[in-house]
Amino acid sequence: MYPSMSRRLLRNLAAAALILPVALGAAACGGDGGDDGGGGSSTTENVELSIFWWGGEKRAELTQKVIDLYHQKHPNVTFKTTWQGNSGYFDKLATQASAGNAPDIFQIDDNVLTEYAERNITLDLTEYVESKKIDLSKFPESLVRYGVVNGKQAGIPSAENTPGMYYNKTLLASIGAQEPQIGWTWEQLIDWAADVTAKTNGKVYGTMDPSADYKALWLWLRQQGKELYNGKQLGFTTDDLTKWFELWKGARDRKAAPPADVIQSANAGDVTKQLVVTGKAATSFLWSNQLPELAKNTKDQLGVTAYPGDPKGQWARASMYWSIYRGTKHADVAADFINFFVNDPEAGKILGTERGLSSNMDIRQQVAEMATDPSTKASIAFETEITPKFGTAPVPPPKGHSKIKSALVTAAESVQFGKATPQQAAEAFVSEANAALAS
Amino acid sequence: MTATSTATVRGQQVPAPAATRRRGPGRGPRREGVAGYVFLSPWLLGLMGITAIPMLLSLYLSFTNYDTLSTFSDLEWIGLDNYRRMFTDDAHYLHAVRVTVVYALITVPLKLTAALAVAMLLNRTWRGVGVFRGLFYLPSLLGGSVALALVWFAMFSREGAFNALLSVFGVTGRSWVNDPDTALGTLIILGVWQFGTPMVIFLAGLKQVPSELYEAASVDGAGATRSFWHVTLPMLSPVLFFNLVMETIRAFQGFTSAFVISNGTGGPVDSTMLYTLYLYIKGFTEYEMGYATAMAWVFLVAIGLITAVFFTTGRFWVHYSDGDDR
Repeated sequence: MYPSMSRRLLRNLAAAALILPVALGAAACGGDGGDDGGGGSSTTENVELSIFWWGGEKRAELTQKVIDLYHQKHPNVTFKTTWQGNSGYFDKLATQASAGNAPDIFQIDDNVLTEYAERNITLDLTEYVESKKIDLSKFPESLVRYGVVNGKQAGIPSAENTPGMYYNKTLLASIGAQEPQIGWTWEQLIDWAADVTAKTNGKVYGTMDPSADYKALWLWLRQQGKELYNGKQLGFTTDDLTKWFELWKGARDRKAAPPADVIQSANAGDVTKQLVVTGKAATSFLWSNQLPELAKNTKDQLGVTAYPGDPKGQWARASMYWSIYRGTKHADVAADFINFFVNDPEAGKILGTERGLSSNMDIRQQVAEMATDPSTKASIAFETEITPKFGTAPVPPPKGHSKIKSALVTAAESVQFGKATPQQAAEAFVSEANAALAS
Repeated sequence: MTATSTATVRGQQVPAPAATRRRGPGRGPRREGVAGYVFLSPWLLGLMGITAIPMLLSLYLSFTNYDTLSTFSDLEWIGLDNYRRMFTDDAHYLHAVRVTVVYALITVPLKLTAALAVAMLLNRTWRGVGVFRGLFYLPSLLGGSVALALVWFAMFSREGAFNALLSVFGVTGRSWVNDPDTALGTLIILGVWQFGTPMVIFLAGLKQVPSELYEAASVDGAGATRSFWHVTLPMLSPVLFFNLVMETIRAFQGFTSAFVISNGTGGPVDSTMLYTLYLYIKGFTEYEMGYATAMAWVFLVAIGLITAVFFTTGRFWVHYSDGDDR
């Protein structure tokens, strides 16, 4: 009875193993919705625009309100909206772009703007800007320029922000420590942080170690007259980066910054894991428009100030852009919507400072005058204080920047965990970055 | 497969019904063949559309500089360049291979040992054994789910359950998922913990070992250990072989847990950079899809070779009890 059982069992198992994934795969692929093309682009015809952005629920709610408002004024235009968290957003956008069905309008940031513009995925909006169909006359000029790649207007800054250092107000008050100030040097911050750590008996570290954060490195370099990029090359040397890593190694050695595994948990940039909200450190390095989002994750009161160093290292940055897909059938309508989004006073009122300060200076002032929410007010006050101190804007990062950003994280982490000396990590980073920029 | 063959056997045994016999000779089987293909067509279409054609396309793309964000018209044939670069000019690639091999080499033996041990425990008849079988199988049902990886992340982080457990013994743990020395270890434990599938298969195998053999062994004076090595294991070897092949392939395909725990970066310091994760990063965040497809093909060939090695060496240790000596 038993002799043939084993072999038959094996055969059946093998058959099941072969067929199951196919069946499941087929089922998984079944639920995909269709894609709508649509008619021409004349303004009275019915048009459906697809639009895609990253962000939280709040952003979705506000953006939807603006979209509804536009639809009210232009009943022939309807929208297909899609949004998701930042993580995975660009993977999805890339997949859609490569399949030739990217959304008509999509949100993008300076990290990848060049990657998309150089591959001609974004529509060149210069013509619309010149004809004032997208009116940028009320925008700060440096902000407009920060959306230009190789002479083409690749994106319209939908709001402005700057890197912002958040600190735990409640904690600092309870231990009687001073709040960090605009214009502190990096060394001053580290001294202060060592003091905070001591005052909390090591329970809370004074500052997050931002050595893996490209925007911190970029500002630090600019404060010394250098740049992150010089065209398609690095704007700094191995020695510069070694110094940067050494600065933070010193901070960790003095316990001004937490141990490596704590830093690593925040390196990926997830808002909920930032040390200032998890209570591991008194500061975190993020963007100036993220206060409301951070505040949701902690009971403590948070404050925001500039990253240390001379604020002339800062510039008017687009927190994000709206770009139009080059393959869109409704470029004119899409452009009109973007124009409405950034210039309409009512839309500006709805959007507030959720994406950052309005790019349009008139609206920015209007929003500032009527702001009541304390975190909005704090963001505006900070941005207003720092704006006159801005230096000149660099060009948006070149192609290869994504790779370089993650290479910096790896290099900084290898120093933090003692896997490499600052010098070794800097050398490894520079050779990798050069390779990424050359390809 | 089995269904088809039984039907044929039955068809031969049972005299054909009158309707079939009235059909012209020669036409019947062909028409049956057509009908067979018609019934198969959903599966065939799926195979062609979802598997075969995309695979051929990806083979072609692996010889091009296909950039994820550009269109097909920009493709350039670059011959074996992608393949050459992988082995001569990409330290990250070789690192990913190393990480994956370490992961598989540790995960597979541990997982199979755990599966076999638990299967033997659950093979006895005692009250409530069914409940335990279900419980041990549960983690495998959750499989490679994102939720599970998130739970793992929370468990092995600084304030996680694991450190809470350690603190009972006065040990202060670190954040295991955030440390390059231990992050891969947490992935391995997660992999091993999902031993339910091989366990159930082992259990089925154990049920097939005839009790006469154990009786005979015990009459001959063999203890529990001896009967395990000389009865259970040889009788189970085909099942063990199957599990070994399947679990090795599964280990090499590990992706979800590494992606979730490292936030899609393969960090800290590239310590969780499994092959498939690196492939994903190349294709979707660094936009080198041509290179990524070449990686996928090398991967396929490597898994094929490993499986082939198993099959060749299998003849020396896998015993089929159907009598034909191999």
